[in-house]
Parts: sequence; C-alpha cells; structure tokens
Amino acid sequence: MTISHHPPEDLLADFAAGKLEEAHQLVVGVHVAGCPRCTRFVQAIEQLAGAALEDVAPVPIATDAFDRVMSRIHEAPKEAVAPALASDTDDDVPPALRKYRIGKRRRVAPGLSLRPIELSGQGQARAFLLRSAPGSRMLEHTHTGTELTLVLEGSFSHEGGHFGPGDFDYGDDEVEHRPIVGNEGPCLCLVAMTGDLRMNGFLGRLIGPFVRL
Amino acid sequence: MDWADLIGRVASGGDREAFKRLFEHFAPRIKGLMLKAGCNAEEAEEIAQSTMIAVWRKAHQFDPATAGAAAWIFTIARNLRIDLFRRRMRADRLETGLELPDAPDQAEPADILISRGQDAARIASAIQQLSAEQSLVVRLSFIEERPHPEIARALGIPLGTVKSRIRLAMNRLRDILDEEA
Repeated sequence: MTISHHPPEDLLADFAAGKLEEAHQLVVGVHVAGCPRCTRFVQAIEQLAGAALEDVAPVPIATDAFDRVMSRIHEAPKEAVAPALASDTDDDVPPALRKYRIGKRRRVAPGLSLRPIELSGQGQARAFLLRSAPGSRMLEHTHTGTELTLVLEGSFSHEGGHFGPGDFDYGDDEVEHRPIVGNEGPCLCLVAMTGDLRMNGFLGRLIGPFVRL
Repeated sequence: MDWADLIGRVASGGDREAFKRLFEHFAPRIKGLMLKAGCNAEEAEEIAQSTMIAVWRKAHQFDPATAGAAAWIFTIARNLRIDLFRRRMRADRLETGLELPDAPDQAEPADILISRGQDAARIASAIQQLSAEQSLVVRLSFIEERPHPEIARALGIPLGTVKSRIRLAMNRLRDILDEEA
C-alpha cells in the first residue's frame, strides 16, 4: 500500500497531543496506524511531549496519593464490560473500528450508503463509514465545516488527486469538489465531518436532507 | 536516574521501591503538565494518580528500545485525559436528561493501536535538529495547549510570527524525518 496523501502536520501534532475531538482523533488515528511515515511524526511529537513532562514545574500532589494509588493497584481490577462489537464477519468494518458500535447501513442515494459510528458525544463532528459504488460520480458539493476522509478500500479522484487505500483527504469550506469513484470496486471511506454537505444542483438538493446526519 | 530501568524492575518483580521513585518524580510533573494543558486541579490530580496506576499495570509493555520513559508516560496520561473528558461529557448529557444510546464505554482510541517502530534513534536525532525556538513553540502550542495570542504575548513576538514559526517547525520536522528515511 503506497500512501501518497497524508494529514497536515498540525493535525498530526494535535492528534499526538490528544487535542482533537473524538471523530477526528478516530480518522487520523486509523490513518496513522497504517502509515509508518505519520507514525514517526506522531512519535516525534510524543518525544517532545516527554521532554516537556521532564521539564515542567512539579505541582504537589495529594499527601495520601501514593497510598491511594497502591491500594487501587491491589484492588482486583474491575471486570471490563465488553461493549457490543461489530461482528467479525462484518467485512465493512476495519479492525481499528471493532471497538466501536456501528449503526445500521442507510442508503443515502443511488450507489451511496453510510453507517454511522457511535461516539461518546464530545465535539461537533460525526463519524461514519461511507460506501460508494464503483464508477459512481459523487455530486458536486461544498462543505460548511471540515471533512476528514480516509480511504479504506477502493479509490476516488477529484481535483486534488487520486486517493487509494490509506490516503487521507482534508476538505474544508474552501473546497468545492466532485469526487469520482474508481472502477476497480466499491470505495469504502471512514469520514469525520462537521457542518453540512451542501449539494449543488437539483439532485443534490433532493438528497441533501438524507446526507445530513 | 534511569527511569527505563525502574520501569523494568516494576515489570519484572513488582518492585515497590522502584515504583515509588517513579511516582515521586512523575506524578507531580504529570499534574503540572495537565494543569498547563487546561485541566482543573481535581482533574489533574486524578489523571496523575490514574497514570501511575497504569504505569504499574502496563510496565511490561514498555519497550526501552523504542519509546523514552517520559514519552511513554505522557502517552498514558494523554489517553487517560481523553477518556476522562469523554466520560464527563457523557455524564453531563445524562444529567441534563438527554436520551443516550448505549455508549461505547471505554472504547479504546485507535491511537493505542499504533505499534512502536524501530526508528527511535532517528526520531531523537530529528528532534535535536529542531532549533530551541522551534521546539519551544511546538511545546507551547500543542503540548501545553496555549492559544496563539497567549504564546505571542509570552514570547514577545507578533501573532503572525507565532503562526509561521509553528508551521515552519512542523514542516522542518517532517522534512528531517523524511530525509533520514
């Protein structure tokens, strides 16, 4: 897998510092997990953070903190309640997402369906898996917010280039694009989106309400 | 002090004395860093304690050949802070009476899945090649999470310079890491 489109560096640094909202943290994290180049960048930021931790002025902690920590360590660890996971036979769901609850597939337009990913409710962005049929032309659209897209399978192209598995696409309200899905098979993407899609044209206005999550 | 060695002693024998030295060094610093990053005192204390519990429990996962001890401890504290804020968000929503779907409790952030590569030395050398002012601006912006105008005031430089310096530092780090590939 050759990855040629990566997240911008400031997004990677925010990811490394844990500053991104949940949907963005998820999409950037899945890219980074599959991209040695971005993994190195994230580790570099973590090393800088480690140096910051060594240099920061210590702040006194509770006087009984060590004893409380030791007694919590010796308590039996709580049995973790296993969340309801997507089943292993669910081939839409990449391994990195198996810990999330993923909603039912919804058809949003001919050749286009999505499955929402349930997040804890922090932040403004929604995350979903978007599946589009081979060769389909997405409607021309603009965004009112930002759209982070990670290709999991298949490919698409737009004015910004060709995007295959592992590639990361960052769109904001300045981008007006009309992606075309490759012919080799369906294109499955993991998407984090804030704001709305603004579909242009008659058909876009027709399906617009369905794309709004 | 060789923190990696102390973590190794916790991992292999549950060495309480080694752990206590780690605790005394890192717990107050985790609390300090969390306060700088915008946590309140109670949150910072909780994250410091929980991080040290995780250091004890995950000590066997620490690989001294790849991550520095402080960087490893930072990643634990960061993930705990993410979890804490998500739980709090969920609790807030419950209090206001909103209907919640079954929450994906303790969903592990995907970033934990990142496997540590073999290029620790390369990363260390890249960081050393950043200038002191570049490291500082990255630290203030991303790790201490100070807003850009505050960084400008603290360093006595214009806001535009803060933004361009952050961008240059990021690009330079990427370039150095790519060059060494």
